Amino acid sequence: MIAKHDVLVVGAGCAGMRAAIEAFDAGADVAMISKIHPTRSHSGAAEGGINAALGNASEDNPEIHAYDTVKGSDYLGDQDAIEILCEEAPADVYQLENWGAVFSRTEDGRIAQRPFGAAGAPRTAYAADITGHVLVQVLWEQVCKRDIPTYEEYFAWQLVENDGRCQGVVCWDLLEGGLKTIGAKTVILATGGAGRLYTGTTNAYSCTGDGMSMALRAGLGLKDMEMMQFHPTTLAPTGVLITEGCRGEGAFLLNKDGERFLKRYAPNTMELASRDVISRAEQMEIDAGRGVDGNVLLDLRHLGAERIIERLPGSRELAMTFLGVDPIYDPIPVRPGAHYHMGGVATDVWGQTELTGLYAAGECACVSVHGANRLGGNALMETITFGKRAGSHAAEWALSHTTVDVPDSVERDAERDLTALLERTDGERPWSIRDELASSMHENFGVFRRERQMEQQGKVVAGLRDRYQRVVVEDKGEVFNTDLTQAIELDFLLDLAECMVVAGIERKESRGAHARPDDYPVRDDENFLQHTIVHLVDGSPQLSWEPVRMTKWQPQERKY
Amino acid sequence: MKVALKIWRYDSATGDRALKEYEIDAPDWATLLDCLDIVKDRHDGSLSFRKSCRMMICGSCGMRMDGAAVLACKTRMYDIAQAGRVPVISAMGNLPILKDLVVDMDPFWSKFKAMWPWLEPGYDRPEDGREYRISQQRMNVVHKESLCINCGCCVSECNAMESDPEFLGPQALAKGMRFVGDPRDAATVERLERYNSEHGVWDCTRCYFCNERCPKGVDPRDAIAKLGAESIRLGIDRDMGAKHAKWFVRSSETTGWLREEELIPKTQGYVSAIKQLKFGYSLAKHGKVRPVPIPHTAKDVNEARNLRKLVREQDRGGALGHVQGEHALAKLEHGHAGESLEEIYARPGAAPRPWLPEVEEEPSA
Repeated sequence: MIAKHDVLVVGAGCAGMRAAIEAFDAGADVAMISKIHPTRSHSGAAEGGINAALGNASEDNPEIHAYDTVKGSDYLGDQDAIEILCEEAPADVYQLENWGAVFSRTEDGRIAQRPFGAAGAPRTAYAADITGHVLVQVLWEQVCKRDIPTYEEYFAWQLVENDGRCQGVVCWDLLEGGLKTIGAKTVILATGGAGRLYTGTTNAYSCTGDGMSMALRAGLGLKDMEMMQFHPTTLAPTGVLITEGCRGEGAFLLNKDGERFLKRYAPNTMELASRDVISRAEQMEIDAGRGVDGNVLLDLRHLGAERIIERLPGSRELAMTFLGVDPIYDPIPVRPGAHYHMGGVATDVWGQTELTGLYAAGECACVSVHGANRLGGNALMETITFGKRAGSHAAEWALSHTTVDVPDSVERDAERDLTALLERTDGERPWSIRDELASSMHENFGVFRRERQMEQQGKVVAGLRDRYQRVVVEDKGEVFNTDLTQAIELDFLLDLAECMVVAGIERKESRGAHARPDDYPVRDDENFLQHTIVHLVDGSPQLSWEPVRMTKWQPQERKY
Repeated sequence: MKVALKIWRYDSATGDRALKEYEIDAPDWATLLDCLDIVKDRHDGSLSFRKSCRMMICGSCGMRMDGAAVLACKTRMYDIAQAGRVPVISAMGNLPILKDLVVDMDPFWSKFKAMWPWLEPGYDRPEDGREYRISQQRMNVVHKESLCINCGCCVSECNAMESDPEFLGPQALAKGMRFVGDPRDAATVERLERYNSEHGVWDCTRCYFCNERCPKGVDPRDAIAKLGAESIRLGIDRDMGAKHAKWFVRSSETTGWLREEELIPKTQGYVSAIKQLKFGYSLAKHGKVRPVPIPHTAKDVNEARNLRKLVREQDRGGALGHVQGEHALAKLEHGHAGESLEEIYARPGAAPRPWLPEVEEEPSA
């Protein structure tokens, strides 16, 4: 053990940094671990904005925000958590602004808000189309101000569980090499999503579900893992994100004939329906042969050059760089791409997991505020509000408990596993397994799901798991060995794919992101108004169900 | 497409350094980052480089291609490969190399942290517990600086830092401007005092490499100019660099031409100027300056005076003036001719015009 802290935050994106700041301000000795520098975190790639009922653009209140979120979740969201999020959101956003976040402004100098999908009011506070970047910067600034220690480029690998508590993390030091164990009274997982499970994803290379997998292996339950959101506007071929803010500003979605096809799917809200609805509509247009090379068209032309340059400069830059398309003159070809994991480590409204001393916040957690479908702008808000709550609770717990005990055997066991991996010289390199996993998930567990394909995917993943047992790390060096860390990341991803398939097959209905057009095309509240929970039992995933926490909203038919 | 790359490999553990060439098959849309991934996957797993978002926002993959800093994920390889070029890829400059294309970012971040890189709001908090009320125009002053992704490309190319490794450098100074220009910040004077010290604002050599190489349009050199302008506006002008700049303005508004003979005493002081008489004599001997200055006033001096008057009257002396100028220039550079929507729809090869279908009955989601 090289150090110990009261609170150790794993991951330093929006949720991790917000948690660390809160724990620090509560008086705890807090540190962060991150496999990349905090400002490189994928929170920074969030574009469109952050939802809070500030009422700056029109009449709004937290209750409407909560209702929109419940409905958006296709009634799978836990309503107590949603109410907390929407109540606390405004003050949390003002806090960010007071810290210096560079939000765009209204005419009267307030934080500007724009319309977003499935929202009853223009509620999405934004900084042009780089909102995530601006929030990561302001949180990093506050971390610097507090001088919170950060173990940068430390790759978290295993949770230390001892005496029925989580008491630290075993890491690989990327810069210098070697396993390093850091002890802690409480650990907060804030490791983000796992979009790298798919070929076409908006997610960064670093989004490999590390925290979810570490928790799973520590015996914890992962909740609603089948719920992977597909974002309707991503660029072919790799899935670079074009913000929902484009549609918030008024962009159209067209098929190859120029038809605004959403009139046939979501006649009231059109391009501002929820993401699951639009992704399905796009996929149906593409499957019916009305796409353009596997895409539909995101048309910004009528917004005019000035508005595009002022409000959506980042999207224009992405389209121009990666496709050579200037949205002032030509529509951007877009298609659905894996974007956000609604599922994750099951927590309560304070971020506590089943394991004492272990917390989770942000995308790696499932509180659940997003249920079966997340609304655009709610993810950044969740990272801030629930990051803060986890940080506060973890600090309080740590300050009232004293000991940290990490048995030597923990590091010895990890060392043995690592040596086995590094010393293997004969076998397959990880990249082909990784690529096959991503393309097969895309094929068999995408926007639409079919029993046969999901079962097939279960076999594919099992086969890839077998091949992984003989995986070879070519780089044997100590310094910046990403060949090693990428192999471990693939191991994490394989765990999660297994859980998703198991949960997906058993959810025999269509709800939010989980659409089964062939066998179970409608929502079945009688049987499935429940969360899936997957535990690892003797190395294989076991499914159980847990009721949705309801407060005041009963399920209704969901139309946009 | 076939892509060939030469990559400077380096192993800090052994000190081995070698230029290795790789030839790979890559899809036509591949960026430099995609190509490096292919090299690592299929040719040499020991190649190290940083990467994450692959969409120009995380700032991980700064490196050099043919000696100039780039973001690997922003660099499309098609044209380079078609032209048969074999680019040399190396780690960024001005930072110690750890392995292959990975540099030690510690010096970068310690300069960043030396800027007090956080808002110092003082006691002036919004009374209603909500946000500060600030106009968009006022926030535009820090717009470009807030685009910075800390990739280090500017630092890599900084000539001033190459000769003075302690120079705060373009990234840190741009971060400083991000707060100096923010009306919510109450520590402007303290900041400018700090940024004006040795290795600070005035040590920039104005080579403009940072502006040229920044992948995000931050234009760090412009941020440094704004810091200079704000310093002078607030009377923080002890540094020779500030005095030098002030003399240029003074000289042009009084006689309309640059009185070089007075530049040294006005910048460095009379004692220093006397010490440099020998240097001045040498300049005169070689015809670089006139031995005896002939006092005169330029014919069009009123133009300079009017311009100066305008700047003063409209309070455009500090950073705001710079930013307004930038905005005016940016409008010219966006590359659109202000066509009407009808003209855009009618362009050759344009995508079809949007239309709404008739829908008889309401479908369900």
